[in-house]
Amino acid sequence: MIDAHAINLGPNGMLLVNVALLSMIGWALLKTEKNLTSQSDVIILALIGIFAISGRILLDPIPNIQPVTFIVLLTGIHFGATRSIILATSIALISNLFLGHGLWTIYQALGWSLVGILGSIISSKIYSNNTLSINPLMPIAVLCGFVFDWVVSLSVLHAIGPDMFLLYILSGIPFDILHAAGNMFFIAWLAIPLSEIMTRHISISQPSVVDNFAKVRV
Amino acid sequence: MNVLTQYALSYVAITFFIYISIKQGQDNTGNDMHGVQENFNSKAESHSKESNLFAKVFTTFSLVFIIITFSSITSEWNRMTSELVDEADDPHYGLPDLWDGKQVVCFHFPSDNVPSGLEDGRHHFDFDGIDFKTDKEWNGTGGCVGGFENYDNGLNLLNAAVEATGSTFSLNITEFSFGLQIDTIGGVSPCVAFTCAEDFSSGAYWEVLHNGGYSMVGISDIELDDNSVITWRIASY
Repeated sequence: MIDAHAINLGPNGMLLVNVALLSMIGWALLKTEKNLTSQSDVIILALIGIFAISGRILLDPIPNIQPVTFIVLLTGIHFGATRSIILATSIALISNLFLGHGLWTIYQALGWSLVGILGSIISSKIYSNNTLSINPLMPIAVLCGFVFDWVVSLSVLHAIGPDMFLLYILSGIPFDILHAAGNMFFIAWLAIPLSEIMTRHISISQPSVVDNFAKVRV
Repeated sequence: MNVLTQYALSYVAITFFIYISIKQGQDNTGNDMHGVQENFNSKAESHSKESNLFAKVFTTFSLVFIIITFSSITSEWNRMTSELVDEADDPHYGLPDLWDGKQVVCFHFPSDNVPSGLEDGRHHFDFDGIDFKTDKEWNGTGGCVGGFENYDNGLNLLNAAVEATGSTFSLNITEFSFGLQIDTIGGVSPCVAFTCAEDFSSGAYWEVLHNGGYSMVGISDIELDDNSVITWRIASY
């Protein structure tokens, strides 16, 4: 058979194809978001979730580099803990349906949820006057890389004793560094545009007085 | 100097270079645009742009640097964090756990006839010849070369181990019709350690063990497993 199926791209070629696909998804989502008239944050969270899931699956060939951590962190900053937990858990579950689902999924959901909660806690310090401060966000993104990896590492306690756990954590530090470097990269390049998108779609809860007034009118 | 230290120094130096380059570039642009009448706002804007540009260049460089060096960083890190196998019935007993499932060649020398640099215990050399761990508690002196994979034959593995470590375990071999005889390893002859009578009534030789047991065949006929450990030591008769 002579067609594209017969072409063996190799790992680097496949990675390039994946990055191209991710860029296409990112560009298409950006365009979609600009034409989105709804102020509902659920729709934008779904779009961002698609980008995060695609990013995690497509960047799988590079160990521990994926956009999920920084997206969940930004979600925590802009939309609060609850929504970031929903997003984190959905991303972990759906992406693992492709990458491999098991006991670790719950630890990944927990790890990313913690990242989202951390984002919501530091929200007022990182995001003020409609501006996202990148510089203080960098060390937090690095910290999140380590925290997430260590939370996920807790899953090995089902297989090994606590005495081996520290050694396990120690041997994984190069992978943690890779995760942290990836987070920094995504923050530097994508945090501001993504923050602007998120800000445009934060639901403004209707004041109860107006709500009551409207009901009386009807 | 450790590979990790070299990488760290290179990383810091390049980061510093990037920072200086961006700062100079921004300063030049600022001066061209505003000259002497540069005001506070333009300075703040310039600083913010500089900070943004630096963040982008720095993080891109960091990511690329770590991805490129990742393989050697993990190898070095694994060497640094490896532990010695402590299960006595394991053929890899006393060897770094980094070599679990891999092939190893050990050379044990009498304590008073040991090649230079190996006097303080058993040294562990990785497949690329790097001496990364010394077991000073080991009851003997010498070295092990490990981390090899996919060798089927004992002689090929021995040659790979010797080549990896340069002259440390250099061999002198005599070929007989019935097989090979190892005369010296690392310049150490068995008859230096033991008395060898001229009439051969007593003597010594380099003995080969496979996974801790006596080998019934010579090194060139040993069929290896995935995690074989070949050990050479001097025996007397």
